[in-house]
Amino acid sequence: MAIVSLDNVRKEYLLGKTALLALKGISLKVEQGEFIALAGPSGSGKTTVLNIIGCFDKPTSGSVSIEGRPITELSNNQLAQLRADKIGFIFQGFNLLPVLTALENIEYPLLNRNFLPSERLRRAKEALENVGLGKFAKHKPLELSGGQQQRVAIARAIAGQPQLILADEPTANLDHKTGTEILALMKKINQEKKTTFIFSTHDQKIMDMADRLIKIWDGEII
Amino acid sequence: MIAPLIAFRNIFRHKTRSLITLSTIVFGCVALIFAGGFFEDVYFKMRESYIKSYTGHIQIFKKGFLEHGRTQPYNFLIDDYEKICREVESIKTVKFITPRFEFSGLVSTGENTISFMGMGVETKNEKANNEITNNLRQSSNNLTVGGVVMLSGEQFKESETYSITLGKGLAQAIGAKTGDGLVLLTNTVNGSVNALDVNVKGIFYTSSKAFDDHFMRMNLKTSQKLLGTNAVQSLVVMLNDTSNTKITLNLLKQKFSSQGFDLELRSWEEVSDFYNQTVTLFNRLFLILKIVITIIVILSIFNTMNMAVFERISEIGTIMALGTKQSGVISLFMYEGLFLGILGGTIGLFAGGIVTTIISSIGIPMPPPPGATMMWLSEPKLIPSMFVFSFTLSVLTSIISTVYPAYTASRLEIADALRNK
Repeated sequence: MAIVSLDNVRKEYLLGKTALLALKGISLKVEQGEFIALAGPSGSGKTTVLNIIGCFDKPTSGSVSIEGRPITELSNNQLAQLRADKIGFIFQGFNLLPVLTALENIEYPLLNRNFLPSERLRRAKEALENVGLGKFAKHKPLELSGGQQQRVAIARAIAGQPQLILADEPTANLDHKTGTEILALMKKINQEKKTTFIFSTHDQKIMDMADRLIKIWDGEII
Repeated sequence: MIAPLIAFRNIFRHKTRSLITLSTIVFGCVALIFAGGFFEDVYFKMRESYIKSYTGHIQIFKKGFLEHGRTQPYNFLIDDYEKICREVESIKTVKFITPRFEFSGLVSTGENTISFMGMGVETKNEKANNEITNNLRQSSNNLTVGGVVMLSGEQFKESETYSITLGKGLAQAIGAKTGDGLVLLTNTVNGSVNALDVNVKGIFYTSSKAFDDHFMRMNLKTSQKLLGTNAVQSLVVMLNDTSNTKITLNLLKQKFSSQGFDLELRSWEEVSDFYNQTVTLFNRLFLILKIVITIIVILSIFNTMNMAVFERISEIGTIMALGTKQSGVISLFMYEGLFLGILGGTIGLFAGGIVTTIISSIGIPMPPPPGATMMWLSEPKLIPSMFVFSFTLSVLTSIISTVYPAYTASRLEIADALRNK
């Protein structure tokens, strides 16, 4: 069974009185362990696809399933729990909580799972070690470089050992070298843990690292 | 424990803004603690000086006096008062009991003649040697502790049968001063007329202008001699503490009833209309002050929390994307409001206590209250109940004013929130 399934998904936004069609009937199946890049120019609909797969945006029409569960039938609380249990997120702007240390940032999403505090801490430390930042546990985000912040964000995404990680242009705010390192780290996790990655990018070199490239243009897969 | 941790750290994220919000809460606490202490000081001084100068804590009369005494004052006199005094003095809460006789008559200097109210007292308990001095605090305290303070001259002694003291207003009205001779003219209890030559030993002052304008004080025996009786009109009970009034009143009622004394009682509260009205008025003013302070604190915290939500839209989107439910977002902001309230309230309690203590030690010269003519010194008190109230108000207003911003935050669309930078 596909971990992600989109069937003829359309998404319409209202800008004032004007309807804007962001997705024009997208169908997609993603299998466990895939490393997929969504490519396309800005405004093509990549982020909208990721938002819908991430269960924080609902399609105007069409169906979306995560592990066979249709998300349109779930309540807000059920969707929140699904995100906590099954999906990890990596954002373009890192989106770490500035008042928390690196370790606390990784621990935060685990609060939404039924882990014991000791287990939460163990997982957070392990995830931080895995991204090579064990020594930076007590650093606040502003005390870290962009690359380090994104590593912490990756640690946060993998700490709960989700089956799916969504990354919205994870390297866009990084220089090319750091971006490549981050992608290499994601690839390593993908290979070692069989975690499915779907990330958006418009960087050709990063696209080349993907197992499968899905090109989106003007709301359609081409 | 990360949610409370985030909330606590967020307070210190925008130090200036949090400082302003905390200052508002602290200001509210200080204002409440100070105002509560100020009003309590007014109540205390007014109450104690009334009790000590005139009403006592409990007044005992012959049964029927309260209903008919105004028209037939001499038909309800207490003859065997010494026995009653012994019974009352056996109660632990009683400081002393003293007989009194109130009557009216005419007083003449030879040139001027006016009506007066006389009060016969026993000097052994009702000492009034406190003086009005240039020190406002000392005069204020004298009035509170002694009730009656001497403006000039001194209090008559027990042996001085023909000496009296005049209220300030009465002395001015008749044009008498210390050392002058006066003639008192009154009806005896039998209805005949009696006159007495007396000497003005001093001029006194109380917190009540009405009392000072009409009353003269003299030895009980002098009043009995003038009225031709050995009885007394009332017995005034002074207690160790005003707070014991109700319990002592009930005890006396039971005692008198069981021993068959034909007496009736009333407490100082029942005769202190002016005090009761003042308390009602001031309490209403204080309520308005409390409401104003509450609104200011609520608006301040509401503004802070609204700005916090506005500034953290992207963060809210992030934590919701990471699986935090709407209730989790609400609790995050509610914790922040709660901590602001606790922090502000705690600082406010200390600040309120310190400010009130300092101002109290300096004292605030106050103009004479209605019905009085003497300035007094306000020394705001530290009232434990106001500390509890201020802290509770800080915490509750903080929580209440956070509800709407927290709700707004929890209703954000995640995708929109994440787009916000």
